[in-house]
Amino acid sequence: MMGIYIFIFFAYLFGPLIIMSITAFNSAEFPSITPWECFSFRWFNEGKIAYDGQHLAGLLSDWRLHDGIISSLIIGAGVVTLSVPIGMAAAIVLTQVRSQLRDIYYSISIMPVLFPGVIIGISTVVLWDRIAGLGGEGFIADIGRNGIFLTILAQTCFISTYCFLIFVARLQRFDQTQEEAALDLGASQTQVFFKILVPYLSPAIASAAVIAFLFSFENYNTTVFSILSDQTLTTVIASKVRLGISPALSALALTIIALTIIAAVTYEVLRRRAEKRYAESQEKFVKEKAADNRINKKYKVGFKIPKGITAILLIVVFVTYGATQIVKNDLYGQSCIDAADKEKKSKFLEQLQTLESNELTDEELSGGSLGGNQDYGDIFGDPSLFQDFGGFD
Amino acid sequence: MSADVELSDVSVTFGSFYAAKNVNVKVNGGEFFSFLGPSGCGKTTLLRAISGFQEPSEGKVLIDNKDMSGIGPNKRPTALIFQNLALFPLMSVSENIAFSLEVRGVSKEERKKRADELLELIALEGQGDKKVHQLSGGQKQRVAIARALAVEPKVLLLDEPLSALDLKLRQRMRTELREIQKRVNITFIYITHDQGEALTMSDRIAVMNEGELEQIGKCDEVYNNPLTPFVATFVGENNPLYGKVTGIEGDKAKIETADGQYLATMNESKKLNIGDESIAFVRPESLFIPRDSDNFDNKIDVNIESFEFEGNLKNFYASLKSGAKIKFSVPNAIDTSSITSGSSIVLGFESSKSVILPKASLAID
Repeated sequence: MMGIYIFIFFAYLFGPLIIMSITAFNSAEFPSITPWECFSFRWFNEGKIAYDGQHLAGLLSDWRLHDGIISSLIIGAGVVTLSVPIGMAAAIVLTQVRSQLRDIYYSISIMPVLFPGVIIGISTVVLWDRIAGLGGEGFIADIGRNGIFLTILAQTCFISTYCFLIFVARLQRFDQTQEEAALDLGASQTQVFFKILVPYLSPAIASAAVIAFLFSFENYNTTVFSILSDQTLTTVIASKVRLGISPALSALALTIIALTIIAAVTYEVLRRRAEKRYAESQEKFVKEKAADNRINKKYKVGFKIPKGITAILLIVVFVTYGATQIVKNDLYGQSCIDAADKEKKSKFLEQLQTLESNELTDEELSGGSLGGNQDYGDIFGDPSLFQDFGGFD
Repeated sequence: MSADVELSDVSVTFGSFYAAKNVNVKVNGGEFFSFLGPSGCGKTTLLRAISGFQEPSEGKVLIDNKDMSGIGPNKRPTALIFQNLALFPLMSVSENIAFSLEVRGVSKEERKKRADELLELIALEGQGDKKVHQLSGGQKQRVAIARALAVEPKVLLLDEPLSALDLKLRQRMRTELREIQKRVNITFIYITHDQGEALTMSDRIAVMNEGELEQIGKCDEVYNNPLTPFVATFVGENNPLYGKVTGIEGDKAKIETADGQYLATMNESKKLNIGDESIAFVRPESLFIPRDSDNFDNKIDVNIESFEFEGNLKNFYASLKSGAKIKFSVPNAIDTSSITSGSSIVLGFESSKSVILPKASLAID
């Protein structure tokens, strides 16, 4: 029962992502799984020049996307360098405030999370527009109207609050006598900070940095206002959706998903390795200390089937099935794409011809020889018009 | 190397609350000195005042005759051992020990040398690379001491560092602490609520109650000649006998209680007059079961209520005619099979083993 529930939950969570990832490999112009045209990597590379002359850029050739990614990375780095120290400082201040002020301070600190991002974006632009207006033509005017700079400031407003919460959680478990002990041993306040507090907070610093970066990277509603004439990845994608989506976006999504999974797996592997090392050192320590008769010599770690094996098997079965289907029906490679394009083009031309041949003369439109409402090119009545047309895919 | 520590009229207030009030103590250099008192009596506050974490509201802390006002904990020649030890969990044992040298900019080789020396002092040679969590309770204790000793402080302050250990380890650490103190020969100021710890380790102790000093003296002096009913009942156990003074003979006073008259010794500084409300104290081990031939000052008729076996001692709980309770202890070696619950017996005690003090509240109230 539990298994079914988990399956449904994961299907709900990852289903759309999986479908979207698959569409990245279909050569059709519109992201789709059925009908399947050809298996192709073109949406990761150059994309295609459509038969009607329109260029549908692939991931590699889309310079607007590239510019957007670069701005997003710059903004992300800027947000991390600002929000992590701000969040840490705010959290440390919270540990020093002891009176009723503490609650007020806490509420004010987390308030930016509650503001709609749109408002933060607009207000940042309004404020800096005023500031830029004051300074004439100088440096202030330049940065006050620089979209990347404004976006860093606007995002930092609320992202530093998430960092603050991470640091607060970690600091709550901090044993303050350690600070006192360090002071007592002759350390200055600065030394206490760098030798005791920062090492203790380092896991929180890392996770705050990652979270800040991710929040910044995926932010849209604040960025769309504060970015002004520049573009970030999210605003580029949003503007593309407005014009009609292409499988290049699926390719981008798949790339991001893959990067995320690789990062998560690497992290997990490293964490497990560290855990194992710790467990080993503990075991060694126990064996060193324990009397001989407390060690069970017959104890052996038996072979265990890894828990994830069903999921992996399932994936293998699906991928194999899909691959054999593709190979069997010859649905891959340049030849398939060429054939599909040719077919589409011929259908397109055929359709054009049919339309041309059905085109009515002015005479006919005005009634012709029979006069009146004879035949206005009743397309629904023409059986040959859509005869072999595969439909709009 | 060691330094005198003097608290001159030190008071510490938190709002309107006196955590410590008008405390005057002079701890001599090289002495093992203990502050003994129940929890909440202000002893930790005093320790924090000496180490510099707490500025006294009034009065002065003098170390080596130098006024310490305005000098932070990192600038004082003291080192504090915390109740929870506060070892740095992210550092190895050696790094912990050498921390104070590191923050003073001592070179790496020098630090290693000193850490090794100290590891030898605390009998943990070759274990410097271990992490703190790999040590046992007693070892952590010793590392905390070594860390505090690394900068060669003139005064070592210890805030109940043994309270987290089990009994056997605590007893061993007492001896070890004493030995370390003798070896390094610096002033130790020790804080505890455990009178056994204070008595076994200290040269002198100060008993505190409700933020004020009750008595300062050598261990046996405090135990045998308590100055107040609080000290009499807090340091060791004591049976109080309430009554009025009816006669004075030299340094002895006669007290009339509901259960009879007893003779007890007065303290030189706490002279009594006839008619004063007072309490005579007699310790459980000073009460004995007399033989017929014995000659002694006081006798009490008691009714045995219950019995408790402690190992080296057998404790009897008995009641007097008036209903007052009394406890007496007999060494395990003595045969007491004839004393059973419900039996009435006579107990005796010498006036020299009993003190009489003006009436005041006890530690057990």
